[in-house]
Amino acid sequence: MKVTVYSTPTCPWCVRLKEWLKQNKISFEDMDVSKNEKAAQKMVEKSGQMGVPVTEIDDKVVVGFDVTALKKLLKLK
Amino acid sequence: MYDLIILGAGPAGLTAALFAARYRLKTVVIGKEIGGQANYASVVENYPGIKSISGADLIKIMKSQVTSLGVKIIEENITNVTKVKEKQIFSVITEKNSYQAKAIIFALGTERKKLNLPEEEKFLGKGISYCATCDAPLFRNKSVAVVGGSDSAVMSAMLLSKYAKKVYIIYRGKELRAEPIKVEQLKKTRNIEIIYNAEVQKISGKNFVEKILLTNKKTLEAQGIFVEIGSTPSTYLIQKLGLETDNQGYIITNNAMETNIPGLFAAGDCISKKLRQIINAAGEGATAAFSAYAYLKSKKNS
Repeated sequence: MKVTVYSTPTCPWCVRLKEWLKQNKISFEDMDVSKNEKAAQKMVEKSGQMGVPVTEIDDKVVVGFDVTALKKLLKLK
Repeated sequence: MYDLIILGAGPAGLTAALFAARYRLKTVVIGKEIGGQANYASVVENYPGIKSISGADLIKIMKSQVTSLGVKIIEENITNVTKVKEKQIFSVITEKNSYQAKAIIFALGTERKKLNLPEEEKFLGKGISYCATCDAPLFRNKSVAVVGGSDSAVMSAMLLSKYAKKVYIIYRGKELRAEPIKVEQLKKTRNIEIIYNAEVQKISGKNFVEKILLTNKKTLEAQGIFVEIGSTPSTYLIQKLGLETDNQGYIITNNAMETNIPGLFAAGDCISKKLRQIINAAGEGATAAFSAYAYLKSKKNS
């Protein structure tokens, strides 16, 4: 399973999302869209919106820190 | 059974917890988001002792100060609070659990106001944002508008001006109500333009925000709208408990942070007052904890 998080360093929900992933022992790639403009464009294209955080799990996208949706896609209980 | 349950984990709740722990009250903090609105302040420069810090980092320090004293912070959504009259105790129900205590500090803050336009939902995340701190970097070289004239509005505009090519402030009043020092900094910033006496009438665009029509009939070309038009206390629990409020729904307290319900104290942005800043929320939290301590002591001795 490939997990990518698009985030900004100053967004409180991004911090919580990443902490949550770590707690659940999910390894992920962190894209800082405040520095990486290409990643920012990719995030907007993939999620169809401009807010962070966005989590990409294989080819599915979760907008925001939506625990229910994340758990389902990550197959967590 | 706890001595004290603190509802809300923002600056008021965390400070109350710090003091309650020092008074050796058996305390727990319950809140859905540690830090609350303070997390969204990009810079805090009016909290003495720390020259300049982000709201989120300030909260991190407050949190560690509280947890190092052994107080647990439970991140759960509170669905109901009731007073069990015959036993003089309070029961707090969350989505997952229920908790009992002899006293409560209500520090649940406020919720952000929305524009209340029919197209707001459609453009949420597609140009409309309630968090400049989070989303500002995504508007690099774009034009954006901030709606509002408060400290938060000015701070958001300053942050956005670092990324966007043009920042409009749309304010319904004729003079910004932010701290004069912030307004001075704002007016020195080249790419910010303030539009007074105007409100947003309509937002349009295909998939994303493209245009903003103002009540003064002007149209702005902008890809982002950051809403900073203030906040209101979440009335649901306040009404359910029967707390006395002012006509805007803020809880009425005396200077000991006591409410009309014995054993129930309130602090922070949710109370009726003139200034809503981290510094006075913290002060009220300290007072509320002290009053709860005195209340519990007098009950024990009676």
